[in-house]
Amino acid sequence: MSGSNALKFLRKYMMIIATVVVVFVFYFITNGKNLYPNSIDALISQNAYVFILGTGMLLCILTGGNIDLSVGSVVCLAGGVGAIMMRMMKGIPGLAWPIAVIAMLAMGLLVGLWHGYWIAYVKVPPFIATLVGMLAFRGLANIIMKGEAVEVDNRAFLNIFGGGSDCYIPDFLKFLSPNSSLNVTCFAAGIAIAAGYAVFTFVNRSRLIKKGYKVDSFPVVIIKTLLISAVVVWFSYKLAGYRGIPTALIWIALVLGVFAYITTKTTLGRNLYAVGGNEKATRLSGIDTRKVMFSAYTLMGVLSGFASIVNIARLQGSTPTYGVGYEMDAIAACFIGGASAYGGTGSIGGVIIGAALMGIINQGMSLASTPVNYQKVVKGIVLIVAVLFDVIMQMKRKGGKKKATSSSAAQKGGANA
Amino acid sequence: MNGFSMKNVMKKNVMTIALFAVYVLFVILAGAIKGTNMLDPSVVTSLIEQNAYVFILGAGMLMCMLTGGNIDLSVGSFVCFAGAVLGLFSVENKILNEWNAKPCSVPVVLLIVIGVGLAYGALLGFLIAYVRIPPWIATLAGYLAFRGLGTQVLTTASTTNAISNFPKPLLAIFSGKLFESPWGQLNIPCLILGIAGSAVVIFLSLKSRATRVKKGYQADPMWFVIVKCCLIVAIIMFLTVEFALDGGLPVVVVWILAVLIIYGIITEKTTIGRHFMTVGGNAEASRLSGINNKRIMFVAYLNMSILTVIAALVVTARTGAANAFAGQEFELDAIAACIVGGVSAYGGAGTIVGMVVGATLIGVINQGMSLVGVDQDWIKIVKGLVLLGAVVFDIMSKKGNKKQ
Repeated sequence: MSGSNALKFLRKYMMIIATVVVVFVFYFITNGKNLYPNSIDALISQNAYVFILGTGMLLCILTGGNIDLSVGSVVCLAGGVGAIMMRMMKGIPGLAWPIAVIAMLAMGLLVGLWHGYWIAYVKVPPFIATLVGMLAFRGLANIIMKGEAVEVDNRAFLNIFGGGSDCYIPDFLKFLSPNSSLNVTCFAAGIAIAAGYAVFTFVNRSRLIKKGYKVDSFPVVIIKTLLISAVVVWFSYKLAGYRGIPTALIWIALVLGVFAYITTKTTLGRNLYAVGGNEKATRLSGIDTRKVMFSAYTLMGVLSGFASIVNIARLQGSTPTYGVGYEMDAIAACFIGGASAYGGTGSIGGVIIGAALMGIINQGMSLASTPVNYQKVVKGIVLIVAVLFDVIMQMKRKGGKKKATSSSAAQKGGANA
Repeated sequence: MNGFSMKNVMKKNVMTIALFAVYVLFVILAGAIKGTNMLDPSVVTSLIEQNAYVFILGAGMLMCMLTGGNIDLSVGSFVCFAGAVLGLFSVENKILNEWNAKPCSVPVVLLIVIGVGLAYGALLGFLIAYVRIPPWIATLAGYLAFRGLGTQVLTTASTTNAISNFPKPLLAIFSGKLFESPWGQLNIPCLILGIAGSAVVIFLSLKSRATRVKKGYQADPMWFVIVKCCLIVAIIMFLTVEFALDGGLPVVVVWILAVLIIYGIITEKTTIGRHFMTVGGNAEASRLSGINNKRIMFVAYLNMSILTVIAALVVTARTGAANAFAGQEFELDAIAACIVGGVSAYGGAGTIVGMVVGATLIGVINQGMSLVGVDQDWIKIVKGLVLLGAVVFDIMSKKGNKKQ
């Protein structure tokens, strides 16, 4: 019994443990450079798009291992549209940034509707429909940008969405400790979040006890809460030591928060899991599975549009080659974070871990001046190891009950046909 | 019951007819707009040579897709890596100098590259078939890893990030022309081969019909077989004359034909070929009828890697260099060729001939549009829409069949 408990624990927290180990390994390799405040800050802004696109990709993957190969091209297209709208043309100032932002989101939405229609209602296999999108939208982006880079110099836009040197939340609590070199607002926010989390956990626990649900034992909860709070406080301390809260972090948190809520607390979220778990059963129980698929790809489109906003802000412009390979990063983040390639399992928390782990490895390797090419190799290996681990754990969990089916991939193909 | 009707024939060959129509359209357009003759021998030869890799990779991708719509995303990166390995061992470079080694002879190099392909294929097949890692995750990892490895080898080996100056004998195996004849405009050996090929096609078609008739199967009417033969022979002779006028049969065509014929026979005539379709059609039923599904999956991916190595050799020989950008988006081209050629995205159905038609159609669109002067970006969009159109057409026609 204790053996299976250990296994359960390992399965649940493996990637978190791996992340911690990786952080320590790089800490020694890079002489602590990977934990410098500016490294932590860069980690967030450089990987903002992975968090956002990974969230959207999770929705698609949940519906049955379906992916969206077009997100890189869509980020490029929407970004190009936005950058052009904000550009000064022949002395005439560009459009106001809120209009551009709406246009970029609308662009993403349109793409999402287009994919959703073909995939959900015409039943075009998702990887083909989005492969078409990958080709077509990249071409369209190049046509719109006429093959040239477009700069973005709208200060307000850059500050709000995380580009340039001023894209941090102003330190309006500085008066509390005027002599401190830390960004007081950032540190205070970290402490507040940690405290809020602790309070929420205990309130929630007592509510669950009242209702008679099974809950973790008190010491476990305390340790877990302490650990998470400590990480949050430490994280905010590091950021406070640099320039404070990057605005990109706010947007990432917002997206992750909203979609964590959608996937766990709403009907749509439950339906995504249901469709991925057993599509036929879901349909027979009266859920319009087409609508669920349609929603997943529409939301993916909108999130691609949003990622393009963060992307052109950070890079302060757009070029026709932006976004190449983003789809692979997003997909990898989901799988490293434990999403099932056959749908039905996965969580936003997993995406966070997956994206962070990949980001940490990438950054650590560049700090250790490993050639860029090896970073790709390591990414591939990490992906395969993560999935391998998941597959083996699942086999163990089935307790040797070898369901003697053929390769499950082939089985799935057969079931779909 | 299922009598011969012109309607069925049209329905079955709609992509071939589309290919023919598109080709004629572009020949007219290119002539009218740019004054380019798309029937010029060098243009036709380059159409085939440029798309050689699509035919070869398409054959491998077909086998993977047959097993249940499974794809291999790593072929492009592996083409790059195999090219880099080829360069590493056959040309003098910094890495070899560091190891105090001399470039290997051509057969040794080929053995090394094929060995690398077999090793990767076996690993991939093992992970997918026996460990049951979903195919596209395993190959996605390969996509990332081999692009990185290939680039790393090339950047370390050479200051220009590319290896060229391949030994001539090596290049001659995979590129150039067969029987380069010094005499005359027309290459006679090429013509003779073309005529011989036509004769074989006619003989086989007639023989196959005769066998069907003898065994009491339903056979196409004689006139139809003759018309079909005539069309095929016309295509063969058209290509033969074009090649002959352009200095001889391109070596790469021999490779393409070898691959296509072998895989055509495997998929149509052999038990293992049937097994691929059964696994893709209904994995459970296939397992219960005693087929080793795992072995089929394993073979599919092992096979894909071998063909990827051949594609890498062909591509490297054509460009005469191994570079870090080699093979980009090759996986997409191969998948698109299969899909446009009517291979089911859910597995169980698809033919080599279909794949060839799909690959050629995309190749013709590519070449035709650039000859007409259409921008590369528009070509991408059109390519995407053709892909979508092919799938939607496939889905719609299946729906129509079910209703009847």
